[in-house]
Amino acid sequence: MPTVRLRAAAEYPPSSQKLFEASRAWFNYDFTEPPAMSRVMAWDVEFGGPHGRAMKRAMGPGEFTRGEKEMVAAVVSGINACEY
Amino acid sequence: MTGDALWYEAAQVVGITNALNVAADTLDGLEAVDEASAPAEARVLFAEMRDFYQRDAIPPGFRFIARDPTYAAEVWATMRHAFADHRLSRRLKESLAFAVSVTSRSASGADFHLSEMRRLGVGPRGVMEIVGVTQMFSSYTKIADTLQLEPDMGGIAPEDPSPAPGGAPRGDGSLT
Repeated sequence: MPTVRLRAAAEYPPSSQKLFEASRAWFNYDFTEPPAMSRVMAWDVEFGGPHGRAMKRAMGPGEFTRGEKEMVAAVVSGINACEY
Repeated sequence: MTGDALWYEAAQVVGITNALNVAADTLDGLEAVDEASAPAEARVLFAEMRDFYQRDAIPPGFRFIARDPTYAAEVWATMRHAFADHRLSRRLKESLAFAVSVTSRSASGADFHLSEMRRLGVGPRGVMEIVGVTQMFSSYTKIADTLQLEPDMGGIAPEDPSPAPGGAPRGDGSLT
């Protein structure tokens, strides 16, 4: 069980709603509620905003494709033993 | 990037990379094999490695485990197979191994696989891409763990019916 109460998207201010829209566009998926991580990052947009932009820059296509980078991300998550 | 085979190959790379890094980074108490006086089997192994990597390089850890050449030969056969071009390219596999090494704080592994990435044509931008992904997901994972978040994104990936290597297709068997 999460150690914080994950708020519904509707509870967040307009500045956070922009992060949810960006999350929906990034995953190209119409979530009923934004993923837990998106809601966590939206709790403080001064942290979540630049963190999300850094992630987007790192994951965007370049020398490696988005798919290849998703595999790298999965491997890193595995080594960090993170189920999420 | 669809198909179980890709993930099996990635898992093989992760496993054998971690195995070699564990030995390379912790066995300083063991004397490394002196190649000049090593048994012929060990020298043959080292020659195979230099041929595979097309440079004067022995993957970290092998100089320790080559004290048992029969064991080292089996580990090398595993590593050579895991890193060869199959469904995943050798370039991507070395990049995965670099990410594994950075994440597990293996300096020797990071150095070796970074050299291989560069040899296989990954440029400075590509290296930074892998560093960026590794950093960002080292952040996300720790945030998720600290807050004990439960997985909730499984639904965004479609089910993949493609077979594992040697296995029977699942579902309609189509390769997408």
